Amino acid sequence: MVTITIQELTKRFSGSVVLSSVNLQIDAGELFFLLGPSGCGKTTLLRHIAGFYAPDAGKIWFDDEDVTRLPAHKRGTGMMFQSYALWPHLNVAQNVAFGLEERKRPRREIEHRVSEALEQVKLDGLGSRKIQQLSGGQQQRVALARALVIRPKCLLLDEPLSNLDAKLRLEMRTEIRHIVKQHGLTAIYVTHDRDEALSMADRMAIMDAGKLVQVDAPPDIYRNPATRMVAEFIGETNFIEGRTLRASSREGFLDVETPFGVLRGRTDGTWQPASGQPVLLSIRPEALTFGSVLDSPNRFPGHIIDTTYLGASVQYLIQVSGGPLIKVCETNPQDIRVPGEEEVRVMAAMGDVVILRK
Amino acid sequence: MSKTLSLLIFLGMTAFFACFFAYPIWAALESAFQGPDHKFTLDYVSEVFLNELYREGLWNSFIIAVWTTLGALCLALPLAVCYVRFAFPGRALLNSLVLMPMILPPFVGAIGIKTMLGQAGALNSLLINLGLMDAMHPTDWLGQHRMLGIIVMEVLHLYPIIYLNAAAALSNLDPALEEAAANMGCNAWSRFWRITLPLIMPGVFAGGTIVFVWSSTEMGVPLLFDYDRVTAVQIFRSINDLSGNPFPYALVAVMLVFSTLFYLTGKLFFGSSSSSGGERATTGRETIALPASLGWVCTAFFAGVTILAVLPHLGVVLLSFSKDWYGTAIPHSLTLAHYRNALGHELTLSSIANSLKYSTLAMLVALVLGTGVAYVSVRTRIWGRQILDAMAMLPLAVPGIVMAFGYLAMTREGQPFHWLMLGEDPLLLLVIAYAVRRLPYVVRSAAAGFQQVSPTLEEAAQNLGARPEKALWRITLPLVAPNLVAGALLAFSFAMLEVSDSMILAQQATYFPITKAIYSLVLSLGSGPNLASELGVWAMIFLAVTILGAGVILGKKLGALFRG
Repeated sequence: MVTITIQELTKRFSGSVVLSSVNLQIDAGELFFLLGPSGCGKTTLLRHIAGFYAPDAGKIWFDDEDVTRLPAHKRGTGMMFQSYALWPHLNVAQNVAFGLEERKRPRREIEHRVSEALEQVKLDGLGSRKIQQLSGGQQQRVALARALVIRPKCLLLDEPLSNLDAKLRLEMRTEIRHIVKQHGLTAIYVTHDRDEALSMADRMAIMDAGKLVQVDAPPDIYRNPATRMVAEFIGETNFIEGRTLRASSREGFLDVETPFGVLRGRTDGTWQPASGQPVLLSIRPEALTFGSVLDSPNRFPGHIIDTTYLGASVQYLIQVSGGPLIKVCETNPQDIRVPGEEEVRVMAAMGDVVILRK
Repeated sequence: MSKTLSLLIFLGMTAFFACFFAYPIWAALESAFQGPDHKFTLDYVSEVFLNELYREGLWNSFIIAVWTTLGALCLALPLAVCYVRFAFPGRALLNSLVLMPMILPPFVGAIGIKTMLGQAGALNSLLINLGLMDAMHPTDWLGQHRMLGIIVMEVLHLYPIIYLNAAAALSNLDPALEEAAANMGCNAWSRFWRITLPLIMPGVFAGGTIVFVWSSTEMGVPLLFDYDRVTAVQIFRSINDLSGNPFPYALVAVMLVFSTLFYLTGKLFFGSSSSSGGERATTGRETIALPASLGWVCTAFFAGVTILAVLPHLGVVLLSFSKDWYGTAIPHSLTLAHYRNALGHELTLSSIANSLKYSTLAMLVALVLGTGVAYVSVRTRIWGRQILDAMAMLPLAVPGIVMAFGYLAMTREGQPFHWLMLGEDPLLLLVIAYAVRRLPYVVRSAAAGFQQVSPTLEEAAQNLGARPEKALWRITLPLVAPNLVAGALLAFSFAMLEVSDSMILAQQATYFPITKAIYSLVLSLGSGPNLASELGVWAMIFLAVTILGAGVILGKKLGALFRG
């Protein structure tokens, strides 16, 4: 288990920049997520750490060792590929044993460790199966066993669950996190699935266009997104444009002038907008409620124009008088409101209104 | 397409195959295993193995095939790896140039090799001029090493088949499979042997099988080298006393058994697609940019192989223009006289006309049959469609000479198909023979087309009111037309080049196709060899034009036609 440090990493593919001065430190034993839309450079960053790409500029360190120019086969990382990349001419046990053979371990040790690894991923007894005889979920476990058995310096996972069905995906989330923590591994996990990242990560980085936009723990990213892109990517939200009224206000809250009145919210605490500065407000649908919120000026009168029932929750689309459409989400709905002319009123707590730079 | 029509095609195809593929083989085998009293006998076949001459022929055929296959592998594998893995100057152009030898008729090249490697040939003259050889005692390269000449010629002719297969297998390989090995601590060299090679083996072996069967039964090259000690030539030589002689048939039977066994073994061990790598490649393969010096080494390697392979044919072109090429490195003076003379020579014009006629007809037959088979096997769910498809590919495994003897046997006097002979005119027989031999290329080409065109396109037409046949005609056929044209062109050009059937089935000079005319001109004295090479040049021009056409139409998919 190592600490991975990435300094000013830059990579261009045929002219276009895919990684732009990336700086990142991943602590030993941390389960770290790289999250972003497709084409944001997250897989490219992972493949740099694995050694499949050499950067145009910048450095990668494993603890105190500069591995930037170290070829992939000398890095000692264990990678799970999106396609699993199981070798079809070798059976399950041979696939898992491969890395140990390359490390010239004695045969008895190899046998022992392979069966141990297969047992850990609940595939004991399937060692002599052919890869083609396995289901998608089983193949995924073989890939995990193959990466774990070499006791890697760090585990790299490239969208490992994207080829599984929804139910299996949920099961594997818990299991992978459990195994990673049990081994105390440093692990880097690439995905575009925000639920996967939110539910599994110790910390995560949101990437966009080759840059790290925000690095934080899941609740911090969800509650305090740094930019419009992060706010939008990590979950559903409502954006409202406005202009700050006063530069400072009591208890860190700020008043913002919007098309339908003054709303009160907060920044993530790292900056303060100037008076009169144009800003963007982000309010998550589940932060809005039809009930009343004490001590909050954030009130939206309007009428429901669409209702979507989702079982655990119900989503309303509301036309705010004199303003934009906003989404409201009510969990565990008791009675479902129908669209109509009748005026409704929704409210949001001041802490749930996040002020973003525009 | 309606079920009745599919069924009709299926039945028609099966009947055709029964008559012109299965039955001829049966007829040849019958002659090999039937004694004078019409009873089953193994005497003839066992006599083949007891006769020292025949045994030697079989052994030599085997040796030639083994060395040809190994030689082709040694040339083609590094080429394919270089092409798929590395970026180097001229990569795209060299990739097509390196395939050129495949379309150059090897037995024409043999004329070139003979001219250049003979005692008074170009190589010796060059060596003497350079002072590397004693002019009084020139080496007779082909005297002692004729077998080597044959192997060299066949390696240079056949390596593109392995190259195409290996390159395709390599580029289909999911790069993640190799990256996973690197990730597990495996270095580049050991990665190639432990992961890459085992995974591309099915492709390489498919190509290798074709090369092996092809070279072990090749007749044209040894014939032109005057090398009688291989089975194919022995069979050809005994053609004149066929009537009562069962031994050529016995030889044919032995040859068939060996090549079929080899083909099936290959399919059995390496044919299972289960262990071919990578259906879901997730990372695109990027070619590695080499440092300039190494890049040029790759370029030189490709160019060198191409030049080497084309050299014999350049010799032929030179020979066709040379007044007198004897004892010099290149001809003293060039002339167009042979081309003028050729116009007057009875054999040249008529043979070109004959070949065009036979090949065009054969192409049409193969096109109709091949399209039918491909359609039935890709688009319908009729029982036995896979069998039909497999049957259509079988001619790849059956040596041409076996088929030729089969046709001969089934049209003998008193046989039900005797009428096919049309007296002495081999027109029908040659057309059928050419068509059957080249059917696999048309089938693969057409099948690839049908697989690419989604059936929903046709269904959409039906949904808008087109009858099934009309939908096929207006939607699917235009879309697969490029594949059909390419397949047809290939069938045509290979028919122009066909040796075994042409040699054995055309007996009278007026009916000779180009290949047999070339052979008989080479044997004749005076300007015969020059005339022969001039005909060879014509043949190559025809081929180049058609293959280039096919390549343009089919683009990169050309390679798919040569996979066994």
